[in-house]
Amino acid sequence: MSETQKSIPIGKLLRAENSNFVAGCRVRELDTPALGALVKVKLEDQSEIYGLITNILINDDSLVRQLVSGVSIPTEYTADNRYNRNLPVEIHVLTVGYSQNGSISHRLPPRPPLSLDELHLCNPDELCHFTSLNEQSYLRHILRLLDQPVEELLAAHLRQAKSAHETADDSAWYEQACQKMITLLRDDYPRLTTVLDVLTDLERE
Amino acid sequence: MENQTLTQNTTIGYVIGGGLEANLEVRLTVPPQEVQEGAFVVVDSNNWRFFGLVTDLRLTAIDEHYANQLNSERFAPHLADYLNEQTLFTNLAIMPVLMKEKGPDLASPDYSAWRREHTEDPSPMPVKTIPNHHAAVKLADRADIADIFGEENNKEIFRVGSTREQDHPVCLNLDKFVQRSSGIFGTTGSGKSFLARMILAGLIHADHASTLIFDMHNEYGIDSTSSDTGDAVVGLKGKFSNKVRLVGLGAGTKFGNQQPDYTLEVSHSDITVEDVLQLTQILNLKETTATTLDKLESEFHEDWFTRFMQMNVGAVVENEEGKTEPAPDSVAFWARQAGIHPGAAEALRSKLNRLFNRPYLTDAPASSGLNAIITSLQDKRHVVLSFGKYDNELDYLLVTNLITRKIRDTWERSTEDFHSGNGQEPRPLVVVVEEAHKLLNREMASQTIFSTIAREMRKYYVTLLIIDQRPSQIYDEVMSQLGTRISGSLGDENDINAVLSGLPGRGGLRGMLAKLQPKEEVLMLGWGVPMPIPIRSRRYDQQFWVDLLGNEHKPQTTKEFNSFLGMDDDSD
Repeated sequence: MSETQKSIPIGKLLRAENSNFVAGCRVRELDTPALGALVKVKLEDQSEIYGLITNILINDDSLVRQLVSGVSIPTEYTADNRYNRNLPVEIHVLTVGYSQNGSISHRLPPRPPLSLDELHLCNPDELCHFTSLNEQSYLRHILRLLDQPVEELLAAHLRQAKSAHETADDSAWYEQACQKMITLLRDDYPRLTTVLDVLTDLERE
Repeated sequence: MENQTLTQNTTIGYVIGGGLEANLEVRLTVPPQEVQEGAFVVVDSNNWRFFGLVTDLRLTAIDEHYANQLNSERFAPHLADYLNEQTLFTNLAIMPVLMKEKGPDLASPDYSAWRREHTEDPSPMPVKTIPNHHAAVKLADRADIADIFGEENNKEIFRVGSTREQDHPVCLNLDKFVQRSSGIFGTTGSGKSFLARMILAGLIHADHASTLIFDMHNEYGIDSTSSDTGDAVVGLKGKFSNKVRLVGLGAGTKFGNQQPDYTLEVSHSDITVEDVLQLTQILNLKETTATTLDKLESEFHEDWFTRFMQMNVGAVVENEEGKTEPAPDSVAFWARQAGIHPGAAEALRSKLNRLFNRPYLTDAPASSGLNAIITSLQDKRHVVLSFGKYDNELDYLLVTNLITRKIRDTWERSTEDFHSGNGQEPRPLVVVVEEAHKLLNREMASQTIFSTIAREMRKYYVTLLIIDQRPSQIYDEVMSQLGTRISGSLGDENDINAVLSGLPGRGGLRGMLAKLQPKEEVLMLGWGVPMPIPIRSRRYDQQFWVDLLGNEHKPQTTKEFNSFLGMDDDSD
């Protein structure tokens, strides 16, 4: 694996359950993770748990509340708050699969990752490999989300994955993914048409 | 087409629901344009093969919202295509008609055990169960159609046409066709006459039954010209000169250059009271007619017609007292003697003038055409009685009834002799009646002989083949007796209902019948065919005769050979 293709560490685990987990990172490290990105956590037994970033949450605290309610905030206060703040940015991840003994599955892992396990952003090779397997069945996990803009998440993920696959000369992947999504969502007319609206907008950009 | 016989057709869909009553519901997996209403399909399920007809095609959607908007305008084209593929469907309604046990697959280990139990191939039977969910549906291939309708043998298994989708031959078993009375229907211009000609040619060629054709409009026996295309149309006499007797009505009748084999003149003594009574409507006879005619017959027996004709109307003489009274040769004189009202008798005599004037009714015919017809039919020949110039309703009614009554008497007698061991089995006879509604309408059916034939004569080896454009005008009792019905396009709703009367699955067949293409397509249904099927009709042309009779005239010279191949002779 080349240097540029290494997985990039983007945070450490705060809390987890089988179907989702939350990692934290410093505010100044927030330039890498993005909504819909494929991430993974490597466990001690060398197995890996894969997920999609579904939400990035920036919490407030009493100091921020005081600063916001002030008349004006000095620049150094803002910089101090960004770089030295000891409250992490929360990265919410939806579990979409795992690998064990080198074999990838799109089912949920037997156990969740542990606190302080390191979260990595998957590189394009890993993204292409994971998303090509099992007729893209990992997409079904996205439909489990409630109270989230699923359409936007899907669109964000498909855009990143499409770009990675096209770079790898695989333009068929995106077509298959669109068909898979229609298969999964065709019984939910409002949701499917919203996803297709978003994708249509994306393609017309 | 030969290649298709070897190729099993591909799947066009799968069963998703339905039943025996409500038809099978099938999800179509090919574009709807590849399947037509009336298509003959097979459904394989476990060890059984089901045969059915497509009775309806219906557009449907997973959610009606997907169908209600134009997806291609709202979404990117490829997304709209994928969406339409997965959410919009066509469903077929299939009327299951027959089923047949086909046994396990040949390659299956169970096959040999099944074959031991079934030494003969099972035959198709009416459906009593249904295929499984998701059973594959295919268009019937040539072998399936031959399995149901038979393989053409240039005899009694006669090719009537071919399937509309894949042009596979569809045959009719002519022996079965003539076992019961049958009908050929269609509006003017639907190709009914050509179809009738073809089937008659098939019947004459197979020669398992004699045919007597009442050719009211001189269409069947002699060569003529198509009213639509102006092309020459070969008559049955021209092609079967030895088997067919062409009979002209009236002495001296000729058809252009064609001479009839003999002519038919009817002796007055052959006319019965019944023959006149069934003309009640057309001659506008009164209720008293029957009494008068009975009296005439009881007094003069078989001479009644001649004697009544010889009586004068209104002839008077002066008696000794100087008073005028009916002359002894007058109608009134006879009526008084017979105790009949003279006015009624005179009115009847006047009305019968139309009969007395018919030139083909003579007191002493030169030859007995009537007996010659009967003898020809008994001798396994076929008779085309062309009405020539006598093509009005009165002539048609009178002559057809008169001959048919004679036939009934003869065939009944022969059958009784046969059953009592005193004779040969009678030759089956098909009486072909054009413009059948004139003879078999509600008012006439009780009076004419034809309804009796349709109802009862099967056991006496006589059946009817009626050819008509207004089946709704034919008496229901008669329609219900028609075993096989072959219909071209019919415009009128009542006619369509009449053709389908008494048949199962009328709802599905009605649409099929209403949408037949004139001159091209016909629907075969009823007792004589294993299942209803719309077909593209065979063409009545030179090729038809070559197929049926072989190439009679082989080319002898280079010029003829080139002409035979369709090439111009440019040697000179």
